[in-house]
Amino acid sequence: MAVAVAVAFALVASACGRTASVAARTSPVRGLVVDTRAGTRRVTSVVWATNRDVISLDPIFALGYPEFTAESLMCESLLRQAPDGSLEPGLATVSSPSPTTMVFTLRPGVRFWDGHPVTSADVVYSLDRQISPALGGSYGWVFDRVASITATSQDQVTIKLNEPDYWLENELSSSAGVVIEKSFAEKQGKNYGTPAGGIMCTGAYMLKSWTPGVGVVAVRNPHYWNPSVHPLVGQITIKGVSSIAALTAGLETGAIQGDYPASQVSTLEQLEHSSAVRVYLGPGWTTDAFIVASLKGVLGSLDVRRALSLALNRQGIIDSVYQGAAQLPRWLSNAGTFGYGQSVFDQAYDSSPVLTQNIVQARKLVRQAGDTGKTLTIGTTSQLPVYAGDAGAYQAAAQAIGLKVVLRSVSAQDFIDFFTDPKFRAGVDGFPGLVFGDSADPASLLSQVVMPGGLQNFDGFSDPAITAALEQARSTANPDQRAALVSKAEKLSAQQLPWIPDVEPDTALVLSKGLTGPVASSAYLFAPWANQLGGAG
Amino acid sequence: MGQPTGWGRLKRMRWRLFARRLAILIASLLIASFVIFAALYLAPGNPVAALSGGRPLPPGSIHVLDQRYHLNEPFLTQYWYWLDNALHGNLGISIALRENVSTLIASRIWTTAGLVLYASVIIVVLGVGLGIVSGLRPGRLDTSTLVVTAVSAAIPAFVAAIALILLFAVKLRWFPALGNGTGLVSNIRHFTLPAVALAFASLAIVARVTRAAVRTESDREHVQTAVSRGIPDRYVIWRHIVRNAAIPITTITGITIASLIAVAAVVEVAFGLNGLGAYLVQAAQSKDIAVVQGISLVLVTAFVVVNLLVDVLYTVLDPRVALGGSPR
Repeated sequence: MAVAVAVAFALVASACGRTASVAARTSPVRGLVVDTRAGTRRVTSVVWATNRDVISLDPIFALGYPEFTAESLMCESLLRQAPDGSLEPGLATVSSPSPTTMVFTLRPGVRFWDGHPVTSADVVYSLDRQISPALGGSYGWVFDRVASITATSQDQVTIKLNEPDYWLENELSSSAGVVIEKSFAEKQGKNYGTPAGGIMCTGAYMLKSWTPGVGVVAVRNPHYWNPSVHPLVGQITIKGVSSIAALTAGLETGAIQGDYPASQVSTLEQLEHSSAVRVYLGPGWTTDAFIVASLKGVLGSLDVRRALSLALNRQGIIDSVYQGAAQLPRWLSNAGTFGYGQSVFDQAYDSSPVLTQNIVQARKLVRQAGDTGKTLTIGTTSQLPVYAGDAGAYQAAAQAIGLKVVLRSVSAQDFIDFFTDPKFRAGVDGFPGLVFGDSADPASLLSQVVMPGGLQNFDGFSDPAITAALEQARSTANPDQRAALVSKAEKLSAQQLPWIPDVEPDTALVLSKGLTGPVASSAYLFAPWANQLGGAG
Repeated sequence: MGQPTGWGRLKRMRWRLFARRLAILIASLLIASFVIFAALYLAPGNPVAALSGGRPLPPGSIHVLDQRYHLNEPFLTQYWYWLDNALHGNLGISIALRENVSTLIASRIWTTAGLVLYASVIIVVLGVGLGIVSGLRPGRLDTSTLVVTAVSAAIPAFVAAIALILLFAVKLRWFPALGNGTGLVSNIRHFTLPAVALAFASLAIVARVTRAAVRTESDREHVQTAVSRGIPDRYVIWRHIVRNAAIPITTITGITIASLIAVAAVVEVAFGLNGLGAYLVQAAQSKDIAVVQGISLVLVTAFVVVNLLVDVLYTVLDPRVALGGSPR
């Protein structure tokens, strides 16, 4: 692990131009870290904040920061994402006897909170739930190359594929691969994963109670199946705190002891100077992008998209919106997502140009294209500082290159509709978004954006060369070769700009000074992040 | 005494009054539920978006969820589903949480009730008290009360909340910055800053209205006469000034307290309290219609009840006021 950490750290550090020594692995603020020193002391209870209340603990619906934070604390997937993004065995180990066969073998002794052993029937049931069209889960598309999922023995599940799919392992290390107890879930029926129904998982922390408005309360699992893990915190309460002022005051006064602030970073600078907490910055898997909603309007022109990208004051966004906790982009995906084929990705990334500002060139592009004076409609919300800041930067950029700007501002809740409702985003050319894939693979996000029919390909973007590279990557077993193909697709996308990357946010972790141990990279979203959380020595 | 007292009249009229008020309440609830339902129906956006947690949902999932919650049905059909269930005591389930609305409301109602009650006590004791004192004693205290209340009346609750958190929670550490607390003492500690923030602007308005009413009554002929006849101050103040000033004071205090129920939302968000107001705002924005309807019913009921209490108080304070009618 130490080697992997050092490698990932060196990779990110070199990619971002930040200098740091290995000793900086646990030092705050400057230099990215993938995890923090393991806790050594028992702690009675910890209050952990999320940007809003958890709305579902059903893995087929777990979709946002609060849900992922709560789910990864308590539930485990077939495979596991290590803090540096690499894949490890989770509840099972995987082998591939042939390119179209995956065999998952449950690890010995894995059992649910209630003591029942995890069986292949539980695994098949959990995956079938994900696919079931009647349940309307969010991850059905992940299994589109799957022909069958069968329990081939008490502890073995075989997945047959229609064609090779080397992305599926990554997906099964995220929410899509979470294993729940069949008998419990069948008994709860449609109440599974709700405050009334609860959940039955396998993790080192188990659900004690869930009161909407109060929080999700998890307690130490004294019979955790993995004897090498000794959870140290008696009780962890995950509490939604949407007001940034309340969050900051809570952290400074000790009412809240930890938080991955994600979009709530506008007081990060203040927290860095607080005597109560320490701020860690880890590799992020999130991209802050200008999401192109329509290619029929002014953004249909590649010149305009390039000009907008050139005119954008990204350093301004990093400084003011992210308080320094973000990087200038080269690709659409965050460099933090290089979880495999690292040297290949690293090299390709370093040879790609950093997206920087050049207004003169940008203006020229728009003039040449004859698009000066056209209107750009930007969807935004003034209630979320990150999006308001991004939209403001785009407004300035568009006006600087001779476009007219209309801001369509909606409430924070309605902002989600831009992603989910084509009618709602009609007439909007684009909107800022914090987006991430399900694992440390640049293809995880990119494929959703650029592949025809991709989940976030909102207006039929299609580039044959990009599609071909990604299709081939998905079928390529060798990680380095796969990384080379994904790099090719990323480089092309940075030129074609299906979306415009704004900045690459780091994963911020704000932690009470008395505590240590949480994962510091975005792996916290998909893998247990509190297994080493405890009092600082 | 030939004239019946306020309480006596109240007893005689109470059945008619309550029947009438109940009818008004039911009519208000019906109209409010329809208007709110219609407004949410017409607002753009889809309730199932909340289930996406901010990431895109596959079209198949959206379709399944639309069907589950009857979102594709015509407006009147949807409203009828809701009304029919509500009449049978079922307020429906939250789309976002898949939990019974009545359970969700029950877990939050005491937060808001406690907060509003606490703030009301502050307003009545401090606002009315300050108003009476400064109305009776022109001078330095009166002037400073006027200046302070002019400023504090202009400070919205969310600004007061941030200032109070910064000063009393972060800097001085006298009170916790957020959360409800457990147990009575802890509850009171946790609710003090929110209640003060909530009471801040209203307190000033109540104080100013009280002061003006007391001042007006003090200048009236019968008061001057009473004073000139040497009737003791205490008696003049309570019997002639405050008693007569009580009607406008009750009116403004009633309106203020009723409006606190709505303003509470802002304070609940600022202090991370799990109250109904904050939840209503959140549910309305995500179009979680059953939740909005349920909370609205509670709030409309509370509003009607507060107004009823104010009317009852009028008759007690002034026997000339007929129950259900308006004061002079």
